[in-house]
Amino acid sequence: MQILTAPFWIDIENWPISWEIGGTSWFPFLESIHVLTAALVVGSILMVDLRLLGLAAKRYSVTTLSKELVPWSIGAFVIATITGLGMFITRAASHVVNPAFQWKMALLLLAGINMMYFHFRVYNQVERWNSTASTPTQVKIIGGLSLFLWSGVMLAGRWVGHII
Amino acid sequence: MPEFFTSIGTLLDGSFLQAGALWALRTIPGFPPIIQTVHILGIAIVMGTVVMLDLRILGLAVPSQKISEMTKRVMPWLWWALASNFISGSFFLLGRPNRYFNNPIFGWKLSFLIPAILLTLFFHLMSKQQDGYWESNSKRLWTARGIALVSLGLWIMVAMAGRWIAYVEYIYYPA
Repeated sequence: MQILTAPFWIDIENWPISWEIGGTSWFPFLESIHVLTAALVVGSILMVDLRLLGLAAKRYSVTTLSKELVPWSIGAFVIATITGLGMFITRAASHVVNPAFQWKMALLLLAGINMMYFHFRVYNQVERWNSTASTPTQVKIIGGLSLFLWSGVMLAGRWVGHII
Repeated sequence: MPEFFTSIGTLLDGSFLQAGALWALRTIPGFPPIIQTVHILGIAIVMGTVVMLDLRILGLAVPSQKISEMTKRVMPWLWWALASNFISGSFFLLGRPNRYFNNPIFGWKLSFLIPAILLTLFFHLMSKQQDGYWESNSKRLWTARGIALVSLGLWIMVAMAGRWIAYVEYIYYPA
């Protein structure tokens, strides 16, 4: 893929803001916020996933849990994305060709597709299993897949730093 | 750094524990990032359990969940996650003990972690005494809110400090 080796990525690294972040305490600051919010994304999604799997919080309906937890996941995800972009621009050209980074983006995409599928294709029938402890197999697969994919995003994300 | 603290590092340095940790870190393919991810997944559980509970007590999150019920439900997850993080963390600690026991940020991390654990344990044990202990009167509810606020700050600082261990020179040797 030629686009991954385009000079464009080097230009990003040379933006004044990239130099500013990369050469100061801004980088570790952004990184620690990134870890904190990423943990919050996974921690809050995990609670919903475990409910979808029928493993925890069975006394609460799926809709109540989603309504109360998903906004936290989204809010934390937004902050993690901003802080992540802040770190990305300091080494853009190296990141785009880093296999761990590529895996991370692919897994994020899959996690997103899994969520979209759940939201648009499955969630409209939520009333059938909303309050039952056990959920249909399809819902369990989506919950399990979400756990798996988000753990993979974390692993790949952590691996980025070992390759760069 | 206090001497008793740095001497723990000296004691562990060169021990069979260090040899074992280094063997695992160097021999098993992908072991460092995998074990770090296990450690961060533990932090995710800290976020999903005690941090969410603190936010609940402060009236900021999950309003439909009852404090006493939530405490009983999430605490086992937290203690297992902490046990797991103790193990995953010790590989790195034992692998390079002097790096940690001479690192002021690691000292900070422990000085947040120990009170965070004690405070959370206290909260959990009191809630076991009686169903709805922290909600039974307004004095206890306000105590719970105070605890939640401190606990929230401590747990966040534990995670922040953990990340900054690798960046100690940014704080102590400014460019």
